[in-house]
Order: sequence, then C-alpha cells, then structure tokens
Amino acid sequence: MKRNLFASLILLLILVALPALIFGARHAQGSRDGIRVVEIRATVPDAGGFVPDRLTLIAGEKVILRFTAPDVVHGLIIPELGVNIAEIYPGKPVEVTVQPENPGRYEFACTRWCGLDHWRMRGVIEVIDPGGAVVVPTVEKPLFEELGIDIDAMRHAPASLPSSPPSVQRGYEIAPDSSLPDWLADPHARRTRSPANAFEELRNLPENKELADDALWDLVAWTWVQEAAPEALAKAQELYARDCAACHGETGRGDGVAGRNLPGMAKMDPTMPSGPADFTDAAQMLSAPDALLHGKLLRGGMGTGMPEFGSLYTDEQLWAMVSYLRTFHFTK
Amino acid sequence: MRFFRAQLKRQAGIAALVALVALTIFAPLPAWGAHQVERQVTVTARSFAFEPGTVRVNRGDTVVIRLESADVVHGLFVDGYEVSALAEPGRPSELRFVADRPGAFRMRCSISCGNMHPFMIGKLVVGPNLLWLRAIAATLVTVAGALVLFWNRKSV
Amino acid sequence: MAPYAISEIPILKRLLKSRWPQWLLVALLLGFFVVAILAGFLGTPAGNRNFGIVFVWIVWWALLMLMLVPVFGRLWCGVCPIPAPGEWLQRRSLVAPANGGRLFTLGKKWPRRLRNIWLQNLGFLGVALFSTVILTTPFVTALVLLGFVLIAIATSLVFERRAFCRYLCPVGGFIGLYSQIAPIELRVKDRDICASHREKTCYTGSADGYGCPWLVFPGNLTSNTYCGLCTECLKTCSLDNVAIYLRQPGKDLVTPQKRGLDEAYKGFIMLTCAAIYSAVLIGPWGVLKDAAGAPFTLPWLGYATTFLLLNLVVVPALFWTAVKFSERIGGGETGRPVPQNEAQRRFAEYAKVLVPLGLAAWIAFSLAFVTINFSYAWPSLSDPFGWGWNLFGTAGLPWTPYLSGVIPLLQILVLLTGLAWAIALALRTARERGQPPLSALPITGFCALATLGLLALYLA
Repeated sequence: MKRNLFASLILLLILVALPALIFGARHAQGSRDGIRVVEIRATVPDAGGFVPDRLTLIAGEKVILRFTAPDVVHGLIIPELGVNIAEIYPGKPVEVTVQPENPGRYEFACTRWCGLDHWRMRGVIEVIDPGGAVVVPTVEKPLFEELGIDIDAMRHAPASLPSSPPSVQRGYEIAPDSSLPDWLADPHARRTRSPANAFEELRNLPENKELADDALWDLVAWTWVQEAAPEALAKAQELYARDCAACHGETGRGDGVAGRNLPGMAKMDPTMPSGPADFTDAAQMLSAPDALLHGKLLRGGMGTGMPEFGSLYTDEQLWAMVSYLRTFHFTK
Repeated sequence: MRFFRAQLKRQAGIAALVALVALTIFAPLPAWGAHQVERQVTVTARSFAFEPGTVRVNRGDTVVIRLESADVVHGLFVDGYEVSALAEPGRPSELRFVADRPGAFRMRCSISCGNMHPFMIGKLVVGPNLLWLRAIAATLVTVAGALVLFWNRKSV
Repeated sequence: MAPYAISEIPILKRLLKSRWPQWLLVALLLGFFVVAILAGFLGTPAGNRNFGIVFVWIVWWALLMLMLVPVFGRLWCGVCPIPAPGEWLQRRSLVAPANGGRLFTLGKKWPRRLRNIWLQNLGFLGVALFSTVILTTPFVTALVLLGFVLIAIATSLVFERRAFCRYLCPVGGFIGLYSQIAPIELRVKDRDICASHREKTCYTGSADGYGCPWLVFPGNLTSNTYCGLCTECLKTCSLDNVAIYLRQPGKDLVTPQKRGLDEAYKGFIMLTCAAIYSAVLIGPWGVLKDAAGAPFTLPWLGYATTFLLLNLVVVPALFWTAVKFSERIGGGETGRPVPQNEAQRRFAEYAKVLVPLGLAAWIAFSLAFVTINFSYAWPSLSDPFGWGWNLFGTAGLPWTPYLSGVIPLLQILVLLTGLAWAIALALRTARERGQPPLSALPITGFCALATLGLLALYLA
C-alpha cells in the first residue's frame, strides 16, 4: 500500500503538476516586469496573416510585441517606430519592445515573401490619446491627385522612341552643348511630365536641330536622374529587392517568379500587357510621368495585385524608388 | 574438432565476403569522365519540391546553382558537400562548388518552410555515379557470396 | 553460440525482480509523453521546433529503429507508457500486485477470429497512409498519441490483459516481427520444469506479479514476436525458471515454428512501406509529395490506391510467384492442385526472409533523415513548445545535419547485410522443406531486386 502511495505521488507529479507547471509558465508569459506582452501570430495571409492585425495602445504605453510564425519565414517592419526584424523563423518567437509616444496609426507589414498574397500581410497599431481626443491625420494630397492623373488609365506609346536605351553618361556629355527648357531643370516641375513630353519639347527647340533623336533621349535620361542621391538610390535598390523583385523581376522585366500568373493590366483592358509591369518597356515607361509612377507606388491597386507602399515608405523613399525604376530603361 | 573447423571455415568465408564487398565499394579507380566544365543550373524551389528535382553534373565540374524561390523563403543544403544557400522570391542566390565527389547527394530545404519541409528533397547526381555502380556490383557480389557460403550449410 | 543468461547477473537480477526500476522508467516516459501531447495541442505548429514531432519522429524513431529493435528486440514494449494507464486501471494498483493478481475488466476474451496481427497490419496501413500529415503536424501527432492511450485504456477495461499491445498496436506489430532478429530473448531455463509446474503462476499470476499480460505461456516461447518483455514472468515464476538471454541474432528465424499469413503480410507491408516512403518522402519527386500530403484530394486517392495495391497485392503477388517457382524447381509443384493451407504455409515459411530484408530497409530509410535532422532535438529540448523558452541554453542552436556524407555507405552496408541474411534464410527454408538449394534462387532473386530497388532510390 505504501508503495502505491509513493507511486501515486510520482504520477500526480507527472500528470497534474507537470501540465500545471507548463500552463502556469505559459500564463506568466503574458507580461514581463509589469510590461504587457502582446502575442501576434504571423502566418501566411491565406491562414490569417497577422493575428491580431489591429492593436490599440495608449500613447506612451510600453508593450512587448511577441511575433511567432507557425509556417514559413516572415519578417516585420513598423516603419514609423523604427522596427525592422529581418526574420521571424517558424517556432522561434521574436520580441520587440515599442513605446509609441504620439497618437496615430502605425502600420506594420511582413517583409519576407510568404506566398502570392504576401503583400496583404499587414497590420496596424492604433495609438490613442490618453485624453481620448480623436486624432485626424493630416494627409497631404499626393502629386498625382493634384495633377488629376488617372493612374489606372491606359497610356499611349510616344510617337517617337529611342532606338536603344538612352544613356545618362552620354546625356551628361552633351548637356553643355544643348539647350534645356526651364521646367526640365526644376525637379518638381519635371515630376509632372513624362520623358516623352520632354523629348518632344527638346525636339521642337530650334537650338537642338543639330542633335540626333537618340542624343536628345540621352539628354532626357541625364536630366531625369541627375539629382537622385546615390544613397537614396542604394536604399531604393534594397527595397526593390525586398518588395518588388519577386513580381517585377530583379532586372525589372516584369518576369519575377511570384508574378508569373498575375493578370496585370490585362485584367482591366485585354489590350494591355498582362503580368507585372515591365520597367524596361520603353513605350510604357517613357510615357509615364514620375508623378504617375509615384501614385502607383503610393496607392497600389489598379486591379493588378500591386500593393500600396504609401504606408510603408517615406515620401523620399517613394521618389527614390521612382528614380530607381528609371534605371531599368536608362543605361549608364 | 570438426565442428570448430567448420565454424572457422564459415567465419573465414564471411570475412572474405565482407572484404570482397568492401573492395567493391572502396577500391580506388582511376577517375574518368567528361570534360570538366562550369555547369550552371537554375533550381526553382517551391513548397515542397525543387525543380528540377534531380541535377546531373560530372565529376570535377564547377557547379553553379542559381537558387530561385517561387513562393516563400527556402534554402538548399547539399548532403555530402555540406554547402547551402537561401532564396526568396525576387532574391535568388548562387551556390558555387566543385563537384569533386561522385555519387548521388540529397539536396534539402534548409529553412523551415511549412509542414512538409523536412521532406522537401531533391537530388544532385555527380556522374559517373560510381557509388551506385559499385553498389550494384557489391549487391551481385553479396548474392553470389551468400549463395556460395550458405549453399550447403546446416545452420545459418 | 550458446545463450547466455544476462538476467542472472546479480545486479540485473535484482533490478528485474523489483517492480520499481521498470515502473519508474515507464513513469518517466509517460512524462515525456505528456509533454509531447501538450506540445502537439498547445505548442508551435512548426514541426521542427515542436517537442512532440522532434522527440517522437526523430529521437524516439532513431532510437527505436537504429538501436532498440535490432539490438534489444521488444525492449521498447517493456517500457512503453501507452498501455500503462489502462493497465493501472485494470489492476487497480500502480506498482504492487494487488488483489492476488486479479484484474478488473469486463474480462472479455479477445474474439477468436481476431487473434492474429491482421488488425495491427491494417492499423499500420491506416497510419502509414496519413504518414506525411502525422509526421509533420504536431497537432495530429498529439491526436494519434492520445488516441493510442485512449484505445489502450478502453481495451484494458473491456478485454483481459494487454489485448491492445498484443492485437492492436500498429507499432508493436512491426517491433514484434523485427525483434526476431535481436540478440536478446526471454525464455524459460528448463521446459521440463514448466511442464511439471502445476500452478503455472507465470500465466495465472501470483502475489509477486500478474499472469502474462501478453497472453503467452513462457514455457512455450520460441520467438520474441509476442513477448513484450514486461518481465512479469521473471517475477511470478516461483521456480526461478525464467531468464533473459543473450543469444545468436536472428535465432527465432531458424527455430521451426508456425508462421501465419498475418505475419507474412506484416513483412510485406513493412518492406513495401519502407520502399514507398523512400520514394515519396526522401525522393526528389514533388508530385508524389504533393499527392501524399493532401489527404482526401483526388491525387491523394490515387496515391492511396497505389499504396494499398502495392502493399497488399503487388508485392505479395511477386513473392508468391517467386515461391511458386521455388516449388517448381524443387519438385514440390507436381501439377496437382496444392491444398490451400499448404500453399499458405510454404508462402509464410519463405516470408521470413522479409524480416532481415525489411528491417534493413527500415534502417536504411531511417538513416536518411534521422541523423540529418537530429540537431532539431537540441532547441526543442530547451524550448519544447516553441514559446521562446531556453531551459538548457540550447534553444538557439541551428540545424546542423550530422553524417550527411557517410549515410550512403551506411545504407549500402545495412542493405547488403540484410540481403545476405535473407539469402541464407531462403536457402535454409528450401532445405527445411526438403528441397535442393537451387530452389531458393527465385526467392534470392526477389530479395536481390528489392535491395537493388532500394539502393537505386538512395544512390542512383
């Protein structure tokens, strides 16, 4: 009988105390040093994406965000909180402490490709004023809206196209011998027009009569990217690899693995090219003003599966990305 | 006495068979094979297979595997060569090594990519696939040897 | 080689006579089991970071197939926690034998028609059909483990003794088959003593222990197949006539005994499954993986049908043809119709070659993934649930494939050993049947082809 008593004790330890200990330890993970721990499950979008994907904090509140992935490798950025986690490995939780001071909406997103709908994997932290005041974010009207550009509209190929990709270097070399209209020298004005517009205008200037068409295209190429800072372009290149290359391809040809079966613009108009945009396609790209490309990046959509990057990139990053896209149809 | 002699004879027989099989597997052979080249292959990883599933190269080739992923973050680890790479859509990577060991080697996904991840497996065959040829020969040697050894034995 | 009674070594004898050591082991393993099940239900769904998957399908499987079964036979069954809760309920006692060895069950006898391992065969096939899901999904693994325990409890309450282990457990089925290889056996020291022992406490139980839970009379044991090494008889034999022996490996296969069709089929199923897994799980064909991994879809139905046909029809039919040729060469086939039971008997006799062949196949298959994935054990020991714990400081250790370069050589070694063994058995069976060695050639051919097929999957 004594033997059975001792054995019962051991069994009690195994069958009751052990699970209780495990449950207890799990429960204790809900907060650490008085700081609330919020667990966010990061799964592929088909299985729910970020769960929860909406979180409300009071301004100044400190929380530990614990991200766990059950399936594949995910990543995380919360741009406005400076959080950037390169990998959330399956079964290996990652924690980050945040303390947003200002009321507002803080978007977060997955940064590692986790399937065709990867870009849908987003979430938002809503930070409210302790006083309860509702903060209405002041949003500047983006340039494309100001100009009334319809980013979904079909574009017509320019009347004239360069015979080979325009060269920035050659453009730089002939720049001193040519005449540029004022608006081309002003970066902000330039954003509102397309390279094709610029070419036509240059062509029509009597001073440029001596220059061949291709030389004028070189000139356009040079003016277009002259102000882009190398660091900004390098950052854009990094972002392009992270967010764009999967569909648009590393070389910008629109041939990325993840974009292979996407409808692209053809979904809205069968005469349009299908699949992700080909940034090396001179006809399409040279007729697009920077403001239009900026708008597409900012808003996404267009019925193509193009995500919006307005909430993930700063405005400088958006413009740098536009300049970076130009390098696919301009050469050095 | 006779029993022990029989025992001894049998053990010697088994030892001889083992030695013969070992010889078949390990005997040094002069290396032969096609002209050594740099061989570039694009391997596309998707859950849960590699495409192509089997990569064939020749001994001495410099193998350049461009690893692409079509869906999520995948890796590629080559058994025996113990080299690995990671890829994700839009971010391919390159794996470069000299295929100096002939045989068939498993290529495995090296980063957790979902349920079937441990079985996401492909094959690298470095030809001439000597180990396989040797294994066939060793099987025949074993069959012949076992038949000879146990043909008339009273006990096994 | 004369058997050597290791259980007579004084310290071992004391450990075996006492009820505690084995009980504590079972209890400890039950603890592991509880953690594995909880991990499956509560832990991360990422298999390779989940204790349930890693410790069941990598660590336990490696131990079982590479060591416990080939070397220690049914040792696992002796410490397996699955039947323990049911048995405790049945005995209304945890350790000490109580109530004079009486059991509290409905005491039903197991149905006569099911007193074989057909249910184990079917159970194994059932589990095997869903293996890709079970092996990789912690939740499903937990369900299966819990299901085993619950079925074992239910069986214990309805039927006498350990009917679950003996007739139902799909794992026990193949452990029993392959334990015939092991150099370990539990046998009586002197059969005459058993014959003259009127009480037969080893079967009926006594104040020292319970009657054989496996429904075996130790005095008649000629094979490890149905002895679960629970060691009750070591405790209940009042004449100290039971011992555990170190013996010649594979002795059960050369000891004449009745071999049933159910056991033959166990051999086919195991060999075929090893081959199918080698192609599907560790082969380079994505189509097969997709089909096997998506239960109840159309491709899966195709896979399942092929799987069952290969297991139950194609491979047995090939072997049956080989046996037929053997008989023809040996002169046993005279053109007269062979009585069905005789045909079955010789089929089952030859089928014992599948034991070394199949075990070798399972070891070779297991080698291809257990050492490679063994390093997952370190993180999941420290963080069993994938919750970010770090109990032993090993949570961060990366996946490090071990021995990836030598596995093919080990596979050749193991498969060829199995082949040589199978051929020796085929020759012996022919001789036992009074036929010339020549008649073993068709069976030899079958074994050689099976081995070459497996080698092709691993090496070609």
